[in-house]
Amino acid sequence: MITTLDPHSRAAYRGWSDITIRNLFVIPTILFLIVFNIFPLLYSLGYSFTDFRASTKDPVNFVGLRNYMELLSDPNIWSNFTITAQYVIVSVSGQVIVGFGLALLLNRSFPLKGLITTLLLLPMMLSMAVVGLFWKLLYDPNFGIINYSLGLGKLEWLGDPNIALYAVALTDIWMWSPFVMLLSLAGLSAVPKHLYEAASIDRASRLYTFFRITLPLVAPILLIAIIFRTMEAFKTFDLAYVMSGQPTTEVVSIRLYKMAFQEWQTGKSCALAYIVLIMVLCITNVYVKYLNKAKER
Amino acid sequence: MAVVSSRGQRIGNLLAIAAVIVVTFIMLAPIYWIVSTSFKPRNLATTNPPTILFEPEVSPFVKLFTKRVQLKPKEVVDYENAPWFERLVFDGGERITRSGKGEIQLSGYPDRFINSLIVAITSTLLAVSMGTITAYGFSRFKVKGEADLLFFVLSTRMLPPIVVAIPMFLMYRAAGLNDSHLGLIILYTAFNVSFAVWLMKGFIDEIPKEYEEAALVDGYTRIQAFFKIVLPEAATGIAATAVFCFITAWNEYAFALIMTNRRAQTAPPFIPSQIGSGLPDWTVIAAGTFLFLLPVAIFTFLLRNHLLRGMSFGAIRK
Amino acid sequence: MRTATKGMLAGLGLMLASSTSVLAQELTIFWAEWDPANYLQELANQYEAETGVKVTVETTPWGDFQTKAFTEFNAQGSAYDMIVGDSQWLGAASEAGHYVDLTDFVKENGVLDKMAPATMKFYAEYPGNSGKYWSIPAEGDAVGWAYRKDWFEDPTEMANFKAKYGYDLAVPKDWKQLTDIAEFFHRPDQNRYGVAIYTDNSYDAMAMGFENALFSYGGELGDMSTYKVDGFINGPKAVAALDAYKKLYSFTPPGWAKTFFVENNQAITENLAAMSMNYFAFFPALINEASNPNAANTGFFANPAGPDGDQFAALGGQGISIVNYSQNKDEAFKFLKWFIQDDTQQKWADLGGYTCSAAVLESEAFRNATPYNEAFYQTMFKVKDFWAVPEYAELLTQLNQRVYPAIVGGEGTSQETLDALAADWKATFAKYGRGS
Repeated sequence: MITTLDPHSRAAYRGWSDITIRNLFVIPTILFLIVFNIFPLLYSLGYSFTDFRASTKDPVNFVGLRNYMELLSDPNIWSNFTITAQYVIVSVSGQVIVGFGLALLLNRSFPLKGLITTLLLLPMMLSMAVVGLFWKLLYDPNFGIINYSLGLGKLEWLGDPNIALYAVALTDIWMWSPFVMLLSLAGLSAVPKHLYEAASIDRASRLYTFFRITLPLVAPILLIAIIFRTMEAFKTFDLAYVMSGQPTTEVVSIRLYKMAFQEWQTGKSCALAYIVLIMVLCITNVYVKYLNKAKER
Repeated sequence: MAVVSSRGQRIGNLLAIAAVIVVTFIMLAPIYWIVSTSFKPRNLATTNPPTILFEPEVSPFVKLFTKRVQLKPKEVVDYENAPWFERLVFDGGERITRSGKGEIQLSGYPDRFINSLIVAITSTLLAVSMGTITAYGFSRFKVKGEADLLFFVLSTRMLPPIVVAIPMFLMYRAAGLNDSHLGLIILYTAFNVSFAVWLMKGFIDEIPKEYEEAALVDGYTRIQAFFKIVLPEAATGIAATAVFCFITAWNEYAFALIMTNRRAQTAPPFIPSQIGSGLPDWTVIAAGTFLFLLPVAIFTFLLRNHLLRGMSFGAIRK
Repeated sequence: MRTATKGMLAGLGLMLASSTSVLAQELTIFWAEWDPANYLQELANQYEAETGVKVTVETTPWGDFQTKAFTEFNAQGSAYDMIVGDSQWLGAASEAGHYVDLTDFVKENGVLDKMAPATMKFYAEYPGNSGKYWSIPAEGDAVGWAYRKDWFEDPTEMANFKAKYGYDLAVPKDWKQLTDIAEFFHRPDQNRYGVAIYTDNSYDAMAMGFENALFSYGGELGDMSTYKVDGFINGPKAVAALDAYKKLYSFTPPGWAKTFFVENNQAITENLAAMSMNYFAFFPALINEASNPNAANTGFFANPAGPDGDQFAALGGQGISIVNYSQNKDEAFKFLKWFIQDDTQQKWADLGGYTCSAAVLESEAFRNATPYNEAFYQTMFKVKDFWAVPEYAELLTQLNQRVYPAIVGGEGTSQETLDALAADWKATFAKYGRGS
C-alpha cells in the first residue's frame, strides 16, 4: 500500500513528508475517538465494580464482581437479552428482505427513478422518538389507520404481549429497510453488465444467475449493512420505550435506562452496560471476519 | 451497447416497476399520514374511522410556533382585535401567552430548530472532513495495526449511548461544555466519524493511486495532490457520507435530552413534548415533525445522484 | 472549509459568552412541559413586572422530567435555581443534599398555617413527621374520575341498569358500583367500553392507578415508619384491591396496555369509555369544547370508597424547592416569599394553577370555578402517596415488574403477585438498611 517516493524527487522536498501527512491525518481522529470513547468507558468500567449511586452522596464502596454476579444470575436480565436477540433477528432479517428486495426491483432504469429512490429514503430521515409516537397512533385499535385500512378490526398490535415485539420490529423494519436498500442498490449497480450477458448467453436460469453472480458480488456490502443494522438494533431504545410497556418488549437498553436513570444504580448499570458492550463486540467481530472473507473471495 | 431485450424481460421489467410503485405507496403511507395530520383541524386528528379527506388548515403551524395555554371556562378573549393567527388559536380553545410587557411568546420550537441546524451542519462538516482525511491516511499509507485500529473506530459506534451518558455528563460538566452548541457538535462529530471513516476508506481505496502519482510527478506536493486530485474524485463518497452524518446528527435524541437545557437544546426532544396538557395535539406534533423533515429531505434530494455511487464501502469488486 | 468552521466555532463561543453574562437578575425554575408550567410562567411575569427580576420557567416532557432533573442534581449543576419536583423525590433529593432545607423559612413565614395540611405533609416534609421541610406546596394534584354524563343520564340506560343491578345508575359511591357501571357500559360490539385506567409501567402511572384501589380498599403499601411490608402490600385488603383493578382492566378499550393521562383523556373525547381516571391537572382539557367534543357532557367525581368505607386517592402534584447548587439562592428565597402570599396564591388559582393554599381552596369561588374543583377540594384532604425514600424508583420497578403482568397479562393470582412483591420490597429495604 505504501507509496515509496524517491527521497530526492521534487515532491519530497516541497511540503510535508508522507509520514507527517499520515500522522497528521490519522492520529488526531484516533485521539479524538479515544478521548470521547475510551475515557468514558474506563470511567464506567471503574464504576461497574462499585455500589456507586449518582443520586446520593453516600460513600462509594468497591464491591468486586458483585454487580456482574447479580446481573448474570438475574432471570429478568436474561429475559431482557432473549427479547433483544429476538428483536435483532426479526428486525434485521426483515430489513434485509425488504431492503434487498426493493433494491432488486429498483435495479433497472425507469422514469422518475431518482425521485422514487429519494422518497423511499424518507422513513430513515425521521427521529426515532417521533416515529415511535406516530406508529403508536397508526397501530391504535380505535382510531389507527392500519387496522382500518387493512380491515383488521380491533387487532391489538401493541396491547397483546405476544405480538407487541413484532409490532415494534415492524416499525423498525419500515424505518430502516431504506438503509439496506440503498447499500444493496449501490452494490447491485456495480455488478458488471457483461456477467449477466454471459449468463443469458449460457441460458442460465434466473435463480442460478442470482445465486451465482448477483449474491456473491453484493454480499460484502450487504454484510456491511447488516453489521450497522445489527449494532443499532442491539442497542435500540427509543422505539420500544415509546411504543410499548409490555415486559415482552423490554429490550436490554430499556432495562439499562431504568437502572441508570430512574433507579440511579449507577455502578450496577455500568456493569450491565459492559455486558452489552462485550456481546455487541463479539457479534460484530464475527461479522467483520465474514466480511473480510467475503471481500477476499 | 445495445442489449436485446426479449418480451419476457420487458414484462418482467414492467411487473417490477409496478411492484416498486405499490411498495413506495405502502412505505410512504405513514409519512403521508404525518404530513396530512399537520394540516388537520385538531378534532379530526384522531377519529374513528380515521379521517382521510378534510379541509386543510394552517393552525397547527401557528400553534407550533407559539406558547399557548387552554382557555378556562367563561374566559373572555378579545377576538375582534386579535390578529388572524391568534384567532386560529382562540378557535382551538387556547390563547397565546404573553410576556409581562404584552409581547406574544414564542414556543421553544424556532430556537431549537436553529440549534439543530447549527449543530447538525457543523458536526457533519467536521465528521466528514475528519473522516475523509483519516480514511485517506489509512488508505494510502502503511499504518501499524491498521485492521485493529479500523475495528476500534467501528467499535466506538457499538456503545449504547446510555453506557457513556453518565461519565460524559460529568466530563462535560467539568469542561463547561454542558448545554452548549460546541458540546453537542463535538459529541455528534465523535458519533459520526467512525461511520465516515469506514465509508470514505472504501471510496478512496477505489480511486487509482496512479492519479496522485502522476500529479506528484507533475510537481504537486502530496497535500496539493490530495486537495486537487483525490477530493474531487471522492466528491461522490463525501456527499453520501454527509447525508448519513447529517441524518444521524439531525435526529439524535438521547444526548440532546441529557446534555442540553434551554440554550443549546435541539428539536428532537422538544417535538414530542407537545403532549403535556392532558390531550396530545397530534396536529402540532405532526407539524413539528413535517417541518423538521424538510431540511434533511431536501439535502438528501439534492445529493441523490451521489448517494448510490457513494455507498460502496470499498466492498464492491471492480 | 476549515476557516469557515473556525469562524463558526468562534461565533458560537461569542454567543455562549454573551448569554452567560446576563444571569444576574434572572431566576430559572424547572418543571415538566404542561399547562400549569405555562400558568406559572404567567404568574412569574407578574413578579418580573413588580420586581424586575426575570423568572423563566423551563420545561421538559413528562417522560424525561425525572431523568433530567436528577442528572442535573447529580452533577451539581446550577442551571436551575428552583425546581417544581415530584413528591416521591423528597427523600432522594433531601438526603443527597440537592434541595435547600426550608424548615426555617417555613416556620418564619407561617407556611404551615397557609397551606392545606395534607399538602405540607406530602409535598414538603421528609422524613415523615420529622418537622423538616424541603419544599413549598405549589401544584396540588390527585387522581379523580371523569365520566360521561349523557350516558349516565340516558333514560333507557338508567332503566336497564336498574333492572340489572337493582340500584340507580349514578356517580359510583364505592368501587363495587364503579365496577358494575364499567361492566354495564362495556360493549365492544358498539365500540363503547366501560372504563379507562392507568396501565403505563414505564414509570409511576400504573402504580398510581393501582394505589387508588389499594388505598380505598383500606390497604397500605407498608408501614411507612418501620418499613415493614409483609401483611400490608400482600394483606387481604391489598389482594382484594388488585383483584378489583384487574377486573376493571377487563372493561377497558382494546389496546389499553400502555396508558396514562393522554390515553385516559382520549377515552372521554373519543367516546371510548364511560368513566376515566386521571389527575385533576389534566381535566381542563376535558371541559374545553375545542379539545373535547363531549365537554358539555363530561362530569367528574372523586375516587370512590372501598368496601369498608375507606376513601383515599393517589397523590400527584409537586412542591417548589430551591436547588442547593443555585447561585441565586437569595433571589430564590425572595421569590418564594412572594409566592406564598395569599394574593399571589389567589392569582395562581385564577390563572389555572392548583393552589394548595387552604384559604383559597376552601373559598366558594374556587370550589365553583370549574366542574371538577369541588371533587378536587374533597380529594385533597384524603390523599396518600407512594414511598418517598431515595430508593423509591427501585421499589417502583419491582412493583411494575410484578403487578403489570398480573393486570395486563392476567398472570398468576393476586396473592401470588403481591407475595412476590412483598418479598422484593423486603429485600430492597434490607439492602438499604431500613427497618430491622
